[in-house]
Amino acid sequence: MAGGDIMGMDKDRSRLSGSQLPLRSVEFHILLSLAAGERHGYGIIQDIQARDETAVPDVGNMYRALARMVENRLIEAAARRPAPEANDERRNYYRITTLGLRVARAEARRLETLMRAVRVGGLLVKGTK
Amino acid sequence: MKTDRLINVSERWFRLLLRLYPADFRDEMGDAVVEAYRDRARDAVNRGGVVRLAGVWVRACADSLRNGPGERARPAVSWRRGGNWGRDVELATRRLMRSPGMVASMVATLTVGLGTFAVVFTVVQKILIDPMPYKDPDDLYFVWRDYGPILDMKRGWLSGTNVAELQKAGGVIDDAAALQRQLTTFSIREGAEPTEISVMATSPNLFDLLGVPPVLGRSFVPHEGGPAGPPVIVLTYELWNRVGSDPGILGTVVRLNGQPYTVIGVMPRDFTFMRNASLGPPQRADAYTTLNVNLAETDPRGGSFGGLVRARRGTSPQAVASAVDAIGRGIDVRDFQGRGLRLYPVGLKPDLVSRVRPALLVLGFAGAFMVLVLMVNLGSVLLARAAQREHEFAVSRALGANTVAIMRATLFEGAVLGLLGGAIGSIAAAWGTRALVALAPLDLPRRSAVAVDWRIAAIVIGVGVLLGVLAAIAPAVWATRTNLASLLAGSAVRGGGARGRMRRGMVVTQVALSLVLLSTAGLVVRSFERLLRADLGFRPEGILTMRVPTPGQLFPKTVDVLMFQDRVDQALAAIPSVRGVSGASALPLRASANQETLAIPGAPGNTGDPARDNPLVDMIGARANYIDVMGMRVLAGRAFTSVRQEGVREALIDRHLAEQFFPTGNPLGAKFSSDDQLLTIVGVVEQARLYDVHQDGRPQFFVRAEDTEYRNLSFVLRTDRDPASLIPEARQAIRRIDSRVALADVKTMEEIVGDALRQQRLSAVLVAGFALGALLLAAVGLFGVVSGSVTRRRHELAVRLALGADPGRVVRLVVGEGAQLIVLGVLIGAPGIYIASGLIRGVLVGVSPLDPLTLAAVSAGLGLVALTACYVPARRVLGIDPARSLRQE
Repeated sequence: MAGGDIMGMDKDRSRLSGSQLPLRSVEFHILLSLAAGERHGYGIIQDIQARDETAVPDVGNMYRALARMVENRLIEAAARRPAPEANDERRNYYRITTLGLRVARAEARRLETLMRAVRVGGLLVKGTK
Repeated sequence: MKTDRLINVSERWFRLLLRLYPADFRDEMGDAVVEAYRDRARDAVNRGGVVRLAGVWVRACADSLRNGPGERARPAVSWRRGGNWGRDVELATRRLMRSPGMVASMVATLTVGLGTFAVVFTVVQKILIDPMPYKDPDDLYFVWRDYGPILDMKRGWLSGTNVAELQKAGGVIDDAAALQRQLTTFSIREGAEPTEISVMATSPNLFDLLGVPPVLGRSFVPHEGGPAGPPVIVLTYELWNRVGSDPGILGTVVRLNGQPYTVIGVMPRDFTFMRNASLGPPQRADAYTTLNVNLAETDPRGGSFGGLVRARRGTSPQAVASAVDAIGRGIDVRDFQGRGLRLYPVGLKPDLVSRVRPALLVLGFAGAFMVLVLMVNLGSVLLARAAQREHEFAVSRALGANTVAIMRATLFEGAVLGLLGGAIGSIAAAWGTRALVALAPLDLPRRSAVAVDWRIAAIVIGVGVLLGVLAAIAPAVWATRTNLASLLAGSAVRGGGARGRMRRGMVVTQVALSLVLLSTAGLVVRSFERLLRADLGFRPEGILTMRVPTPGQLFPKTVDVLMFQDRVDQALAAIPSVRGVSGASALPLRASANQETLAIPGAPGNTGDPARDNPLVDMIGARANYIDVMGMRVLAGRAFTSVRQEGVREALIDRHLAEQFFPTGNPLGAKFSSDDQLLTIVGVVEQARLYDVHQDGRPQFFVRAEDTEYRNLSFVLRTDRDPASLIPEARQAIRRIDSRVALADVKTMEEIVGDALRQQRLSAVLVAGFALGALLLAAVGLFGVVSGSVTRRRHELAVRLALGADPGRVVRLVVGEGAQLIVLGVLIGAPGIYIASGLIRGVLVGVSPLDPLTLAAVSAGLGLVALTACYVPARRVLGIDPARSLRQE
């Protein structure tokens, strides 16, 4: 099991430096939500809604992203269990992987660098939008 | 309560929208997607009621419309890349690769079937369907004379004056051209090796009328026609090629019958033009010159011109017909005292293809049938394969595999097989067509156009795929119905039930289709065999023929011609092993002779009805011993001998004329006149057929070629050796007499007979091939069913044998099962024979389309082959060891 993970991570590290970054905004938002704990699909949407009303993805959009991210081992499916906020109906939960966490951090750093560059460049003067 | 209902309705809507996503995605994420939608919908209802919910619905719809197809185009997960279809192809291919034997045999069958189909399709398409390579070809017509009550001639040439009238007719007739064909001795320059070519002399407007300009140089201009026109010539691409493809040929002078003609143009490579002939096959041309007569000044009652007409663009055939008819009426009144001559137009292509059309239709029909049989065969093979995998299907279905996926996999197998077969078949057809064209009659219209092109290859591959998919439908549907329960329940009688019925149905269909195809083939072959055995009126074996033209430019006077012909006669007779030499103006089966009306005043058979007493007959000039050399039969009197009576011009009449004019008396010694010469009948002969192999043509009479100037005499020589081996000696002999003379049509008489039968031979070979192929496929199908049945009933048969049943009876029992299918197939096929008979009536000669003997023989043959196909696997019953079989069970 462990060996498999290491193999997978090796493979994924090369991906990390290559095609994974930059993340799509919906992917970044998903990682951001899952970094705080396991969520089911609508829970992620609600999270995003709370963070930034304009970035809320369509359901289809999000599930396509979820499928892609599971495939890329950024996240994984957790056990199906009752969701307290949805009348205790059972829901599919997702959780972030170590790789996902690293990718999210790398993305955050990339964005931070970018933002620093933006400020140095004077594109956004404080107080303007 | 209300909220729950709203949510449930919404869920149904969401599930519907989910169909927009590919199945893989649905399987994996579908429920989760619906749940998320449910959550969102519940949220919306709680916060804003139905209005808010409607918003969610609309948004879900937009979402699915975008992401569903999006997911199909770019699947999220790598192994799905290329979508379901790609995976199906991969799976089907992998499965097919696991049984290479089956694939090879199936693809081979399909290749043969589709290849043949492609060949037939190509021929039918190119000859019957494709437009002719002229501008607006549907507006081109040939105009013929129907002499009506005047003469028995429904398709006569026009006179020059007729064409002149069509030219100035106006109205719906835009233009008209007159055409005359001459066989001419051609040399590229003075003194060069002469060859005979076919030259079309036309009105100068021919190429404008066809709308095809030359590829080199120019075509004729109006003043180049008529007696005062300059001698100019336009070459076909092929002739230009034959003389060296020199682009500098324009302006050079070539010789036609020794006369100089200036080359002014070369026609494009794909240009071909045939003058549709009054009798016999269409005539092609190697070069074009202008007519050196003034059309308006020709004999209005004579007929020697082909008339080609271009109608105003888009005129209906009826309008053209009535315009031509009106002109014909005027001509009838003015030139024929209103005795009933008519003119009528026939579309260029219908006219050209009318002779081959029936045969091509039969071929097309047989080809289509062959493809049907093939499809059923493919279907039953796929069914058998599906059956082998019934466990696999049932188990995977029990494990929740998608029904559609199983069906799609089976359909894909069919499609992949069809694709392979179609692709290889097209390649095979490219060769096949070439071989077929080589076998085809030389005068096959548009012979050069017949070749497989990309369009046809694409169609054939498409047909292959379609065939594969259609054939796979039945097994595919069947496969989806299999489930584990029924399979387990039915394991005692494995392979029974629906599949067995379907397979039997297919075999019955195959037998029925084969019967129709076989009976068609039987009739066509029998008709061909009749033709082969037909009494031609002469003996073709051991005869070599050659035409020796004597153009006026080389032999100005009649006496020169006659002397030259005498010398040729002697020179040929001097060749060792030649037993007899003679010559005639028209050889059998070449469909070319002069026609005359003949009257024998004072003959006892005259009726007083001028139409009957002046029949149109073929007049043939023949040299001494012709009847003898050809092996024709003298019925009374004598033939022409080398001894000639002074002052008497001899004639021979055929049996038909003798019976008509002298039903009682003796024709010998009777006199009649022809061409202002008084002729004396010295003998009565049996006809040597000029046109068809199987029936006499119009009545014939022979005059002595030594009495008249025949500039295009064909010589015949009879030998004990292979006649073809004499060709070099004969050529040398004639060259020694005059090196300027070109020999033409050097052929053995057997070749001429073979040429006359080419079309029928081809039809017979192809249709018989189709039918045998179908029979083979049906036999294979039967074999499969019966051998499957033996395997399936092994247990039952073992019990019977163990209980002391006579093995012979058990075999009969199994064979009987197959025989039932055969009988059923024959019963179903019988009405098909009747329908097919209407189609093939046109190509049969001397055989009724419902000829009982042929049909009985065909049915018996089919039954025998089919029963054998049942008996061989049934014999395996004898190999059953009851004790061992039962122990195994």
